[in-house]
Amino acid sequence: MIRWLQAWVADWMDCIDFPLLIGLLLILSTSLIVLSSAGAAEGQHFVLAQGARFAAGLVAMLLIARIPPHRLRAWTPIIFAFTLALMPVVFAVGSGRSARLWINLGFFYLQPGELLKLSVPMMVAWYLHRVVLPPSWTSIAICGLIIGIPSALIIQQPDLGTGLLVAASGAFALYLAGMHWWRIGLFVGSGMASLPIAWQFLHEYQKNRILTFVYPESDPLGTGWNIIQSKIAIGSGGWFGKGLGNSTQAKLDYLPEHTTDFLFSVLSEEWGWIGVIFVFSLYIFVIGRCLWIAANARDGYSRILVGALAMTFSVYVLVNGGMVVGLLPVVGVPMPLLSYGGTSAVSLLAGFGIVMSAKAHRKFLGA
Amino acid sequence: MIRSLRRQRIKNNIAESEQFRRRSFIGFLCIAMAMGGLAFGYFRLQVLQHQEYQLRSDANRIKPRPIVPARGLIYDRNGKLLADNIPAYRLELVPEQIEDIDKTVLDLKKIISLGNEDIEAFQQARKATRRFRPVVLKLRLNEEERAKLAINRYRLPGVEVVPYLTRRYPYENMFAHVIGYVGRVDAKDLEKMGDSKFAALSHTGKSGLEKYYEEVLRGEIGYESVETNAQGRPLKTIGMQQASPGYDIQLSIDADLQRTTIEAFGELQGAAVAVDPRTGEILAMVSLPLFDPNLFINGISHTDYRALTENLSRPLFDRNLHGGTPPGSTIKPFVGLAGLESGLRKPEDKILSTGEFFLPGVSRGFRDSHHGGHGWVNLQESIAQSVNTYYYKLAVDLGIQRFDAYMKKYGFGQKTGIDLYGENTGVMPSPESKQKRFKQAWYPGDTVNAGIGQGMWIVTPLQLAQATAALANNGERNHLHLLKAKRQGFQGQWQPEPLRASEQIANDQAHINAVKEGMWGTVNGSRGTARAIAVGAQYTIAGKTGTAQKVSRKGNISLNPNQLALNQRHQALFIGYAPAENPKIAVAVVVEHGGFGATTAAPIARKMMDAWLLPKLPPAQAPAEPVKATNAAPVPATPAPDTTP
Repeated sequence: MIRWLQAWVADWMDCIDFPLLIGLLLILSTSLIVLSSAGAAEGQHFVLAQGARFAAGLVAMLLIARIPPHRLRAWTPIIFAFTLALMPVVFAVGSGRSARLWINLGFFYLQPGELLKLSVPMMVAWYLHRVVLPPSWTSIAICGLIIGIPSALIIQQPDLGTGLLVAASGAFALYLAGMHWWRIGLFVGSGMASLPIAWQFLHEYQKNRILTFVYPESDPLGTGWNIIQSKIAIGSGGWFGKGLGNSTQAKLDYLPEHTTDFLFSVLSEEWGWIGVIFVFSLYIFVIGRCLWIAANARDGYSRILVGALAMTFSVYVLVNGGMVVGLLPVVGVPMPLLSYGGTSAVSLLAGFGIVMSAKAHRKFLGA
Repeated sequence: MIRSLRRQRIKNNIAESEQFRRRSFIGFLCIAMAMGGLAFGYFRLQVLQHQEYQLRSDANRIKPRPIVPARGLIYDRNGKLLADNIPAYRLELVPEQIEDIDKTVLDLKKIISLGNEDIEAFQQARKATRRFRPVVLKLRLNEEERAKLAINRYRLPGVEVVPYLTRRYPYENMFAHVIGYVGRVDAKDLEKMGDSKFAALSHTGKSGLEKYYEEVLRGEIGYESVETNAQGRPLKTIGMQQASPGYDIQLSIDADLQRTTIEAFGELQGAAVAVDPRTGEILAMVSLPLFDPNLFINGISHTDYRALTENLSRPLFDRNLHGGTPPGSTIKPFVGLAGLESGLRKPEDKILSTGEFFLPGVSRGFRDSHHGGHGWVNLQESIAQSVNTYYYKLAVDLGIQRFDAYMKKYGFGQKTGIDLYGENTGVMPSPESKQKRFKQAWYPGDTVNAGIGQGMWIVTPLQLAQATAALANNGERNHLHLLKAKRQGFQGQWQPEPLRASEQIANDQAHINAVKEGMWGTVNGSRGTARAIAVGAQYTIAGKTGTAQKVSRKGNISLNPNQLALNQRHQALFIGYAPAENPKIAVAVVVEHGGFGATTAAPIARKMMDAWLLPKLPPAQAPAEPVKATNAAPVPATPAPDTTP
């Protein structure tokens, strides 16, 4: 009996990449500590709720880590089709403040966009696994469809942030698959050239966000308020910060969304530049570890999928980190695993489950 | 299609793996560099620009909140409260914290009653105020309104009910012109005060003493640093700079005398001033009709204001300060004094009054009040009987230049320097002023008219009172003033206001005595013009009556005086002092459309003197309070000590 238990535990332990797990746990603890201060007004249950979501996410991560990559690969088209099919549903019955983003499942608000963040790179990796690399024009075109349709649907919701992240995850898969540099250059170049046209299709509030980004002081009490207050929070933090629980910007309500999109501003205010560097280091470590696992994965599917997930993760950090400090326009991208919010944390941790699965099963998978 | 591709090129896992390693390494480098750049972005804000953002963070949360000290109180000479502060609540809006102000105002209108005037004033003030400063929407909320606002407060961010002290004048209209009133601070006031901190004041002195002693009464505004949240709600106090309260001031005015004076006028209108000749203290100062200064404190309504401004009797007009009238015969004692001082007359010199005075070469005569004249009269008789011819001749002998010089010496044609703003200097009868006002040359007849205080001569009741007080005080003129003492805070000691140096208006005391003898005769002589007021007086009065034609004709059109507004018609005047041998009160009374000075103005003066002097007489002599002898002890023969300072 005991031996069986030992074997069972050892089996589980095999699935876990401890350096990655420790990095993730450090980030999650940081999140709970900062939330307990920034969300003080919302009450203690606020932190507990986030802790519960993290726990759920960690369980999901461990469960997914047990799934061998070849099985995941086999299910990929079905998963992709299912998540894509949720999009029309959210259009029909979805809820949300300014955009229809969530499906109310009674106990949980499901955000199909979040699921697509996983299923799109999975599908691209699945496809690229089957074709000769570097991808040909035909392969690129097919990947373009796999990426483009869900992204366009999400942007239509409208949720520009998630849409761009989904598109980015697919694009990273293509990049990692060895798409020729000149082809990448061609895409990036034509993308840049079409920006003025894309501008026409943006919603008014999205245009405003970008305009505010360029001139935040033009409307300091309206749309510029968030950026200005966030910069004040960050700048007043100094080297070592005001100390835990001393964020005046959040406590006195000057900083809106201080538990979600602008949580990192609160961390910067309370922990200072040292705290920022600490969190950035954790993120770089996690990303680096994931890329290392990807590079050592034995099959193309795991490699491309894990690599794409890791790089997408970095986009979260860069976009949110750049947005709160005023270097990028405000798009609704949370700081991964730090900001308050359920679906994002669970789907990110599920993604790390795939990473761990790739790590755990590399020895069983031959060429 | 996939199959066909596969046929052309073989999938090479090792090559793909190598390719991936390279790509992921480059990717990682890019990410690390981007993170490094981002970290520098944070470094710039948090380390390089930290000072600036620290300041902005503090400025964000720490807001200075002005502490406005209570305005100083105003007392009369006996400690009766003439202006006090009562607690009230006002409704303020902070524009910065309100998304749609017009909507909020509409919402508030559903909760409490808001007049269009309130809203207009609010919109106007809002334009002149910075967005984060509160703007008053309504003053003096009642209890019900406060309760309703408290219930709805949660859905009205940026709307505050603020306690404050508001001014109140318990005597209502009695001191309307003297004390004046405070009103809401407006953009013009702020500009004048020059410092934005005064925006914290809700009220400022707009007229009268409230305006003159604004800085004394106001005190020094203090500051409290409060931590406020983004909605502007103060959470805790961080620092404090105490406010210092304004001074309470005590006036020389006696509220009882003021009341008696107003009542003595009855239905009549005009002006009266009572002065203590020994100090220059104003004891009463009345301009009728009155108005209620309480109306102005929180913004007067259009209807009330129109009623005041459209009233032909002009209640807002302070007759003592801004008004004026020809002095009429009340000027005679002063012209007589000028005659003695110049050496042209001796007190015993006699002049023949035939009933009419002729200038050489002018056929139209100047009349005496008595048909057929008064006969031969000396100075004393000329004052007591108000003999015009004596003064016609004297004015001609003096000549208008010398005449004016003496009158100016007695205080006419210049400000008395009383502690109120906007005092009128009056107009002297001179060739220059006639040229200026009427573009006409000066005729010898004008000099004759000036001799009896008629013509284009304007003196203010204050000037008359001042000159009378100077005569009463044996030529020693004291500076007229209203402020008697001040103190800082309720526990403070009253500090008496130092008296200014007095001036002597005459060269020879005998000249003053001669004139005073004449004024004694007016009331006490057998042919005195005001002998009626001496009846029943327990002290001796001296004085002079007068009647002034304010407008005799305008251009060539004769006006029927009965169709003119009261203040445009003939004025009855009386100046006087008492007790004659040791004057403690000097008065000047002007009654508009009063007929003759002796019949309307003099009795008012008598009542004022009674009110001031009788309570101070030894009790046995005062009939107002009959003393019941409770024992056989004799009443002390010595007079009671004088209680007036």
